[in-house]
Amino acid sequence: MSTREERTFFDAFDAAVAGDVAALSPWLKQPAPGFSVYRNTIASGSVGALAATFTTVQLMTGEEWFRAAAREFSRAHPPVDPALLRYGETFPDWLANFPPAADTPYLAGIAHLDWLWWQSWSAADATALDGVALARLTAESLGSVKLDLHPAVRTASFETGIPSLWLAHQAPLSGEPHLLSDAPERILFTRPGLHVQSHLVDAATFAFLDALQRGSSILVAAEGALVADPTCSLPDILAGGIALGLFSSITPIPDPSR
Amino acid sequence: MTTAPGAGLGLKPQHYAEAISESAAGAWFEVHPENYMCDGGPRHAALAAVRERHPLSLHGVGLSLAGDEPPDEAQLARLRHLVDRYEPCLVSEHLAWSRRRGAYNPDLLPFPRTSAALARVAEHIDRTQEALGRRILIENPSLYVALDGHDLSETEFLIDLCRSTGCGLLLDVNNVYVSANNLGYVAETYIDAIPASLIGEIHLAGHAPDATLGHDLLIDTHGASVDEAVWDLYRHLITRIGARPTLIERDDNVPAYADLAAERHAASIILTGVREAVLVNA
Repeated sequence: MSTREERTFFDAFDAAVAGDVAALSPWLKQPAPGFSVYRNTIASGSVGALAATFTTVQLMTGEEWFRAAAREFSRAHPPVDPALLRYGETFPDWLANFPPAADTPYLAGIAHLDWLWWQSWSAADATALDGVALARLTAESLGSVKLDLHPAVRTASFETGIPSLWLAHQAPLSGEPHLLSDAPERILFTRPGLHVQSHLVDAATFAFLDALQRGSSILVAAEGALVADPTCSLPDILAGGIALGLFSSITPIPDPSR
Repeated sequence: MTTAPGAGLGLKPQHYAEAISESAAGAWFEVHPENYMCDGGPRHAALAAVRERHPLSLHGVGLSLAGDEPPDEAQLARLRHLVDRYEPCLVSEHLAWSRRRGAYNPDLLPFPRTSAALARVAEHIDRTQEALGRRILIENPSLYVALDGHDLSETEFLIDLCRSTGCGLLLDVNNVYVSANNLGYVAETYIDAIPASLIGEIHLAGHAPDATLGHDLLIDTHGASVDEAVWDLYRHLITRIGARPTLIERDDNVPAYADLAAERHAASIILTGVREAVLVNA
């Protein structure tokens, strides 16, 4: 049997998985009801991986709704990587345009936060920087060094109170119904040890971390924080960051003029 | 206590603490490496703690060795990284495919066992063993459809792969039982056809009848305890080939650790019995 004919088999199998079961009939001795086992396993593997990552979305929508949505997503966007813990990065954006989710426009934001939590949880380990190293910096050096964030730090900013809504569902047994507020909110995930922590942060802290994430010097990041909130205190932001283990190292910037 | 791997358990995240403190002679653990292909965090910390005290086996599901594309080099590099970090006692993969044209199907899919396929799968195993710097074991799949177009039986295919690549076999006794039932052949004949020298590991797991077709279609669910018929086949196999590292797999309806430990112990008693019989006969 030639390779060309074999390729026909794989094409036929792919078509059958996609729904055209008749495509496989030239390769079957008799009708094969067992083929559905493969289709079901493939679907439940993808859906199960999404359910493991997007736990808050599933909590808010209920299992049945979530599994139906996840199944539709996985048909349109199957996994590309056998490491299924990496599957689902595009699920939040897909949910934003999923017609049955039109009544719950916050769901995509909730999914985004589930994804960031998961990224923080599985990020590389690193030792957090202590205050001693930071205290050694002189004021003149702030424009030529940057603070590298701990690999588990993730941040997100929203026009509404989606972060509070997400946080309220992390301890669902508290039972308090939570309404979505209209005020902008920002959230930070970090994992100084083995447990992911989530904290709401103010606009200045968010601007500071956001600039550091883009590789800016401490000075430039501080200027960003002051633009966000002219009354903010850089020493307070730095002390808060040290306490939460947000920084991993201090690195000189080769070209501070950036 | 350090002993040769005897009977082991598939490691579930909900059982990390019990696995770390497991003290049974010969106990070992197995994981899917794909579940540890992240940079760090609690999952790696737990696996490292288990590995500090027990032998560990990496049982891959994602290399797609029987596919019509070579194994993904990035995936091989990540696997090599885990092999270097955890120094597993065994590394295994499946005689199946899952990946094609950039899409991954989370399943172990069948293919026509042609002579062309034999050459292709052997190339993929060669590449894998080269990338990992070690020998791997290949597991027989559970089959649910009778494909037309096979040139070789599954046992012939597996034995030829071992001879041409130097790989060994992970004989999943439950898969043999399930496939034999679904495709209409005799499980015992299949098992007897595998030379003892090729078998490096054995898997035992539970199965379930299909919701619609009943016992005409058994499904390899890993969701129940090992069936008595599978234990019988296992005793039959072990009596012929001697003791081999044997794993109890459970991925669905995962019970309390103590229940899995009891099944592990049952396999351990069978293994010990075979070892003693060998000594008496020597």
